[in-house]
Amino acid sequence: MKRRDFLKTSAVAGAALTLNFEGLQAALSSNTVAVEKAPDLVAVMGGEPAVMLNKALEALGGIGKFVKKGQKVVIKPNIGWDRSPEMAGNTNPQLVEALVKKCLAAGAQKVTVFDHTCDNWQKCYETSGIAAAVKRAGGVIVPGNDEKYYKNVSIPNGVTLKNAMIHESLIEADVWINVPVLKNHGGAKLTCAMKNYMGIVWDRRFFHSNDLQQCIADICTWNKKPVLNIVDAYRIMHHNGPQGKSLADVAQLKTLIASPNIVATDTAALKFFNQVEKLDISAVGHIKKGEALKLGTSNLDKITIKRIKI
Amino acid sequence: MKQSKILKGLRVLLAILFFVPIFLYFVDFANLLPESLHNLLHIQLVPAILAGIIWILIAQFLLVLVFGRIYCSVICPAGVLQDIINRIYCIGKKKKKGSRRFVFRKPLNWLRYGLLGLTAVLAVFGSIELLLLLDPYSNFGRIVSNLFRPLVMWGNNLIADGLMKFDNYTLYHVTVESITIPAVIAGGSILLLFILMVTLRGRLFCNTLCPVGALLSLVSRYSFLSINFDKNSCIQCGKCEKSCKAEAINVETMEVDNSRCVDCFNCVTSCSKNALHYNMNPIFSKHKLVDKSAPIESQKAFASRRSFLTTGITVASSIPIVTAIAQHASHGKRRAHGKEDNSNWPPITPPGSLSLERFKDTCTGCHLCVVQCPTHILKPAVLEFGLGYLLKPHLDYDNSYCNYECTVCSDVCPNHAIKPLTKEEKVTTQVGIAHFFKNRCIVEIDGTDCGACSEHCPTQAVKMVPYKGDLRIPKVEPEICIGCGGCESICPARPDRAIIVKANVVHQFASKPKVEEIKEIEVDEFGF
Repeated sequence: MKRRDFLKTSAVAGAALTLNFEGLQAALSSNTVAVEKAPDLVAVMGGEPAVMLNKALEALGGIGKFVKKGQKVVIKPNIGWDRSPEMAGNTNPQLVEALVKKCLAAGAQKVTVFDHTCDNWQKCYETSGIAAAVKRAGGVIVPGNDEKYYKNVSIPNGVTLKNAMIHESLIEADVWINVPVLKNHGGAKLTCAMKNYMGIVWDRRFFHSNDLQQCIADICTWNKKPVLNIVDAYRIMHHNGPQGKSLADVAQLKTLIASPNIVATDTAALKFFNQVEKLDISAVGHIKKGEALKLGTSNLDKITIKRIKI
Repeated sequence: MKQSKILKGLRVLLAILFFVPIFLYFVDFANLLPESLHNLLHIQLVPAILAGIIWILIAQFLLVLVFGRIYCSVICPAGVLQDIINRIYCIGKKKKKGSRRFVFRKPLNWLRYGLLGLTAVLAVFGSIELLLLLDPYSNFGRIVSNLFRPLVMWGNNLIADGLMKFDNYTLYHVTVESITIPAVIAGGSILLLFILMVTLRGRLFCNTLCPVGALLSLVSRYSFLSINFDKNSCIQCGKCEKSCKAEAINVETMEVDNSRCVDCFNCVTSCSKNALHYNMNPIFSKHKLVDKSAPIESQKAFASRRSFLTTGITVASSIPIVTAIAQHASHGKRRAHGKEDNSNWPPITPPGSLSLERFKDTCTGCHLCVVQCPTHILKPAVLEFGLGYLLKPHLDYDNSYCNYECTVCSDVCPNHAIKPLTKEEKVTTQVGIAHFFKNRCIVEIDGTDCGACSEHCPTQAVKMVPYKGDLRIPKVEPEICIGCGGCESICPARPDRAIIVKANVVHQFASKPKVEEIKEIEVDEFGF
């Protein structure tokens, strides 16, 4: 080994050591302060989207727990409709913006955002405020309007859905974060984290014609699962979902729910939703079907929950 | 610079200024250009006539009356396209075989005025098929939207796919979907006809088949300015005659047929003796009236008027036969279809077209709305709705639907076949009504949730109502349905969809969805 190389390697190794050491110390110190480990689910109420996101991530152990340096990250909000943020048809743009920034701050190599929209994609991206938010935060917003962007993957654990065309940015990503908005839904009854998966696939018609609820649960078994589900309930659409007709369909509740456990996320979101509009869990078939496919638990007593009110 | 060169340069410059924006407007698949560009199309003659914009007609009339058929060389995109074809044809050819390959020929008055008369009479009687096939602007529209536009889109996709590999999404992949094979054939055949006619006989289309050319020629004969021989300087070398695309210059008699001259000024620049001038028409100058050529002029005019009248009469007498054939064709086609309950439903016409009959009478199938529609739901018909609907666009909800507040097609239609609508008018314009076929619905057949139709309904005219157990099934409230096709486009039932929009042959107004009261909702607990 050349001397120069040796010096280089040792310098790098030294740097790495100090980093690790700092990390260790931080972990140690936090452990000594709070002995409890990170909760399975965090719910935050009463703040602006970015503030609530901060609180939730803090409680979960920081963004660094989910996004590592140099990773390619995809954030998948709901951008399905040509609706402005007040209408709650799409995920709150402020939340998306804050999350993109967090990921980049955590050292993500690239943060990509997309959705397979229902309305004209350009209008959705623009009216939702998400395209602008992503650009402001330094992320990349990519189109999902053409079959060209989707690649066929197999869903070995699916009951009805055995393969699907999934957006290539997700296929190439190291990690992804699922960021749905909580809404009433004419077909699936409720749309939240699991239902938000329908925006990653090309052929949704198959879902509708082959037991929608089962297909939603099936697609969630795809082996690349989101590292985190963050539910935007800053505003929820409790009626006439998923598009909504007017502001009468919307309630501003300033809430956020986050968890890596997708079934628990949706169960919690449903219980929260139930305070505004009664909806039985059996009607939202995909939640129980997801549990049957071992995607998580709908028994919230079995998990640790941290509730934060601002 | 010589006056001759200035004239031609000005003509070319103006032609570019008109042609390029119009061409790009038809190609613009990404909606980058300002929508106001459609104003350039309102001044096209046939659209202006059909839309009944009087001031444009008066302006056009005055323009021909003063300058001659400058319209054909500058404003008409089909005319300029022919000049471009001619230019391309001349590349690399010697003048004799290229730009100076023409010879004087007699006008085919019986043909051009016959067609003009027939077109006009048919149109007046509510059958504009012939106008649709001959109108230069609409033909140009069909050529660009069905041939050039897809090419540009494919080109874009190639580049976009390349850029995508470098994480560049400035260009994006577009789906080339609004073209149909018959429309490509319609555009292709007219382009082929243009190429053929131009290479063989220059502006033959404009002086035989084109109703606009024929109409303008009636005025341009008497235009104030025209190209005239300076008989003292002319050496009858024949360069001008050979360079005349309209085949309108007779060097032997030293006359220019003003009815066919399109003011391209090629002859003026070709003349080395400066013997051709663009100046006052001799029929206006007193002392030239005594010129011996005058009687010939008037005789000719008389002759052409006579032929115009005779052809007019022939045409008029043949109308009943033509319309009968047209009607028969449309009926026969529709009957041949009807094996299913919804397959022989009439076409859904764009919002703003007011009624099927009105739309049929005013649309000349330029396909501008087809290319401008942001959701690509306007598709040119072939014969599925009869000859009377040939190449006209109808709303096709196979893959997408009409955007709730979008008024693009009605804003751009130069014929006003689709009348401009405000947003408020648009959201209540009922072009059709959704019809629900329960026996085909997934919820009924499979007993599983679906609701895709209701999901896409902007007015919640299609609402999910309680059904068996936890299931919900769609129900249509026709009063608030606007027929946008959101439901139909997404319905997964096959082979036949369970919810289909049936056209309103006469558009109606839907009532606005009830305004719900905004209630303050407060939640202090998480609920879990």
